Amino acid sequence: MMIEFVNYALNGALLGLLYALVAMGFVVIYRASKVFNMAVGEMLVLGAFLVWWAVAASAMHPAVGIAAALAISVLVGLAIERLLFRRLIGESVFSMIMVTIGLLILMRGLVLLIWGPQERPFPAIISLTPIIIGDMIVPRPLAAGGLIAVVCAAGLHWFFNRSRTGLAMSAVAEDHQIALAMGISVRRSIAFAWALGGVLSVITSMVYLSGKSLTFLSSEIGFAALPVALLAGLESIAGLLLAGLIVGIVQGLTAAYIDPLIGGNAASVVPYLFMLVVLVVRPTGMFGWKRIERV
Amino acid sequence: MQRPNFMSGTVTLMAGLLLAPAAHAQTTLNVAALADFAGPYANVMNDMQGGRLAVIDWWNKEVGEKLKVRIAVKTYDTRYDVAQTASLWPGIKAELKPVLLLGLGGPDAAALQQRLPEDKVPMLMGTAAYGFGWKPNQWALNIRPTYPHEAAGFLEWFRASRLEGKRPVKVGIISSEATPAYADQAKGLQAYAKAHADRVTFVEAIWTEVQPADLTLQVRRLANAGTDVIVIQTNTAQAVATKRALQALGKNIPIMLSLHNGVLGSSKALGNPNGFVGDFEVGAIADASDDDTAGRRFYRMLQEKHGLKSAWNAMTMLGLGQSIVAVRAIEATVKAKGADKVTGEAIHAALLATQFSGAELMGLLPGVDFSTDAPFPTGSAKVNIASMKDGKVVRVAADVPVPTLPKW
Repeated sequence: MMIEFVNYALNGALLGLLYALVAMGFVVIYRASKVFNMAVGEMLVLGAFLVWWAVAASAMHPAVGIAAALAISVLVGLAIERLLFRRLIGESVFSMIMVTIGLLILMRGLVLLIWGPQERPFPAIISLTPIIIGDMIVPRPLAAGGLIAVVCAAGLHWFFNRSRTGLAMSAVAEDHQIALAMGISVRRSIAFAWALGGVLSVITSMVYLSGKSLTFLSSEIGFAALPVALLAGLESIAGLLLAGLIVGIVQGLTAAYIDPLIGGNAASVVPYLFMLVVLVVRPTGMFGWKRIERV
Repeated sequence: MQRPNFMSGTVTLMAGLLLAPAAHAQTTLNVAALADFAGPYANVMNDMQGGRLAVIDWWNKEVGEKLKVRIAVKTYDTRYDVAQTASLWPGIKAELKPVLLLGLGGPDAAALQQRLPEDKVPMLMGTAAYGFGWKPNQWALNIRPTYPHEAAGFLEWFRASRLEGKRPVKVGIISSEATPAYADQAKGLQAYAKAHADRVTFVEAIWTEVQPADLTLQVRRLANAGTDVIVIQTNTAQAVATKRALQALGKNIPIMLSLHNGVLGSSKALGNPNGFVGDFEVGAIADASDDDTAGRRFYRMLQEKHGLKSAWNAMTMLGLGQSIVAVRAIEATVKAKGADKVTGEAIHAALLATQFSGAELMGLLPGVDFSTDAPFPTGSAKVNIASMKDGKVVRVAADVPVPTLPKW
């Protein structure tokens, strides 16, 4: 009984870390441009189709295929900045968010146009053999995903808080005009953020879809990860891990113990309730920046 | 001599041309087809749509010409979305003035169920029916009984053939609350188990996302409870996630799938042409096995003479089955009322009054007998059970009776 409880909590935590990995797509773009990217799920699907195309359809060696997918995703990220966001530097945040909604629709249409609506078997990039510890069973892709999420979060946390480029990107997120006045290239910062978003989407897709089926509807996980991003606060990379763990454990235990009792899917609602409660108390999320404005 | 001949010839030709349309006066009846080319069923829509159009082409040439009636179909993409169907319908009604609607599934029923009686246009759907639509005097009619009816037919067969009727079959279901139709499948199965506790023990309903990230622990719970069969009537993504979980656990619990997420489609999505060997697909419509059935012969004829390109699979079958009932209902109405008096209301009346035999429906369905009590066939419903071997669908059992279920 206790082992089962721990197993549900552990798998929930790993699922939460997967959500945190997806949510990094929101935070990376937001940290660099103050844009809430509504198309995170679609970017993940595009990354997944690139991996599928390279590894399964073109039969490249997985290492070569993944490298190719990563390279193309960087180019896609740069193209998004060049075609859509470069013109919006200095414009209102609202305009930029509307453009990301347009981007969501455009990317969904492009994926349908290029690869069609058929379901594709996503290659098992990560072994599907589960990790068995006594009576506990842990899906290997989720375990690998948890590890990748921690490594990515540590790397991105260092990058945004310690590196010159990362700090410049944070300044861009504060205010485009001030960043420009300080000699920071807003264009380059935003381009870098979108390229980084592209890379993250490829990595996340391999964790999420390894050995499963891929369609354009796989983008749904983008919205499933939303509570994690909002709970953490949209500026905190490290906070995503804690938020992911909280959401994942709560969701996992609800699915295991509450859903069978009520005969419904409380697990899909509880993370949102939890998020709402936290946002009522702390509107910027648990680790979001507190902005002091001079009146 | 030549001029009078030329004149009389011209006059005759002109008279002929003028009279020709009258002699061949043909009534065109408009049918609106709702489709999903950009939503969750976009991957299988082409096959279903091909089936629909081929049957209507066949009927126009073989039956309609003699009756001087032509059915014209116009297709609308509703993306399997309630809001999309609801917003498109007033325009469809005004533009096309359809006498019949070919619906796709649950969202169409949810969007139009309340409106159609007022609009006097019946809708026929190829999918199985839903408990929330199980009300008297409906205009949204399914050619198959509800998903729980189909699952119940299978479970009774499974109990009799695999458990020798010695104990109740233990069943779990994996579903989602993403759409009312998916949630309804679990509720109906629970109601059936409650009413027939001697035959079925309901283990648990696992509620998950439409595309689950992982189901290992949930499936282990079902396995630990001694589940005999896992029912999945939602989509292929859940079927694949369940299969992966079973593989991870080293368990071999048979999965019962529906037709839109059948063994072939799910195997393809799994990346293994034989991935779902030992599992089943169940539906109250002809199966897609290679057996030389009347339905298969009709399909081949449509391929040869009416340009049917869709593969021989469950989705094509849904399109064929749905449209064969549609054309037979129109035919019955034309014969009863005359071609110029065919209205949505008259077709609805014909659907309720006529018992369509399996032979009339070209062996695609066991027969259809609508009544005012339920929006799906009750008396004639039987399910076919198929599995797979060497990457092909094989028939396991045919014409398995569907038990009576209480409303839920």
